[in-house]
Amino acid sequence: MRSIGAIVTALVLVFGCADRGRDLSRLPALSGEFAIEDCSSLFPARGWQYVHSIDFTMDNGYGTTVLGVTTLESARIRCALLSVEGFTLFEALFDRDTGLAILRAVPPFDTAEFAEGLIADIRTIFLPPPGDMHPGLTQDGKKICRFTTAENRISDIIIADEKCPQIQTYSPDGLLQRLVSGRDCRRSQAGFIPRYLELHSYGRSGYTLKMNLLRTDRIP
Amino acid sequence: MKRILFLLILCCQCSPFATAFARDEAHPFRLQSIQARFVQEKNMKILARPLVSTGSFTFEAPQSLRWQYHQPVASLLLMHKGTVRKFVGRDGTLVEEKGAQLDGMQMVLPHLSDWLNGRFGDTDMFKVASADEHRLLLKPQQQGMARLISAIDIIFSETPGLIDAIILHEGSDATTTITFSERILNEDISDEVFTSK
Repeated sequence: MRSIGAIVTALVLVFGCADRGRDLSRLPALSGEFAIEDCSSLFPARGWQYVHSIDFTMDNGYGTTVLGVTTLESARIRCALLSVEGFTLFEALFDRDTGLAILRAVPPFDTAEFAEGLIADIRTIFLPPPGDMHPGLTQDGKKICRFTTAENRISDIIIADEKCPQIQTYSPDGLLQRLVSGRDCRRSQAGFIPRYLELHSYGRSGYTLKMNLLRTDRIP
Repeated sequence: MKRILFLLILCCQCSPFATAFARDEAHPFRLQSIQARFVQEKNMKILARPLVSTGSFTFEAPQSLRWQYHQPVASLLLMHKGTVRKFVGRDGTLVEEKGAQLDGMQMVLPHLSDWLNGRFGDTDMFKVASADEHRLLLKPQQQGMARLISAIDIIFSETPGLIDAIILHEGSDATTTITFSERILNEDISDEVFTSK
């Protein structure tokens, strides 16, 4: 029991630490341009619910598996984490206007840091990034939709024909913080969603989320 | 995890309670083993529709348990001779969760013999809030448990010695209903069932 406590405590820590990342790839320079109307079409649609199994693994090999429920409403995100046995570990609501509200959380998931880190991961995976968008090409010819916020936080959407787009987020000083890649992307009423995706978070406490899409449901 | 295992053990122990509580107190049913399938339906406000899991379990007195989910995520809990192990399906195989030392199970085991003998009164974890021959309602004794499970309903079968379902209440708007079927009672069970994947 103590060890499980250690795992979930670590999980809380790494979700909370994701924004304090160090390391890794530098932001690539963009040279040319390419024509694209709307990069947001490369993301899941609002008005839908997505249920995933999520394998969480820390860089030291420890981890656990949970079920994740994510509902994208027009101006809100609802999310929940369940144990594989079905117990509710965490449930929260993120509203664009009023912010984050934790509806249910059992220890050690009952911290603001965990909730904020989880919502940041969800926003990276499911929503078009905030900021102004400029399309560009890397030196090796990759097409990128680059979103830049007023705080100089940068998100790159790397577009590859007939493949799932890759998402990379960078800190204001140009360090890679999160990398999302997917497989088996399909466009449907539920938007553009991979059947399988991985999120790598870099920093002092790196971790990986491997997510398998179990089902999608239209919400009223 | 020890709370989850407590609930699983609870499921296995309800059959003798049903008998002792209801119909034939002179000849109480003695459970040596039970095998069954189950369907688990999770309802909570956020879900567009219930989340349904299927699985099976095997229990042998006094304290061996195999509780396995087949869908949507494969997982396995094994308890045997005081050792508890948990496996989760990853890339098509069941992998033991690293560091998942479930030593809290020792708390639960002392209750086992009482339940086997149909003594299902208050424990330090749960108290009987109400009971009749069709249904038993348990409420948590401790605040820590109450944050996870606010109540447990046990629905007894018309057949003495069997239960039909268990409903776990998580607050006012979330329930997990486990419905049992294809029950096989008191067959010999190999130890391998509780020690191998």
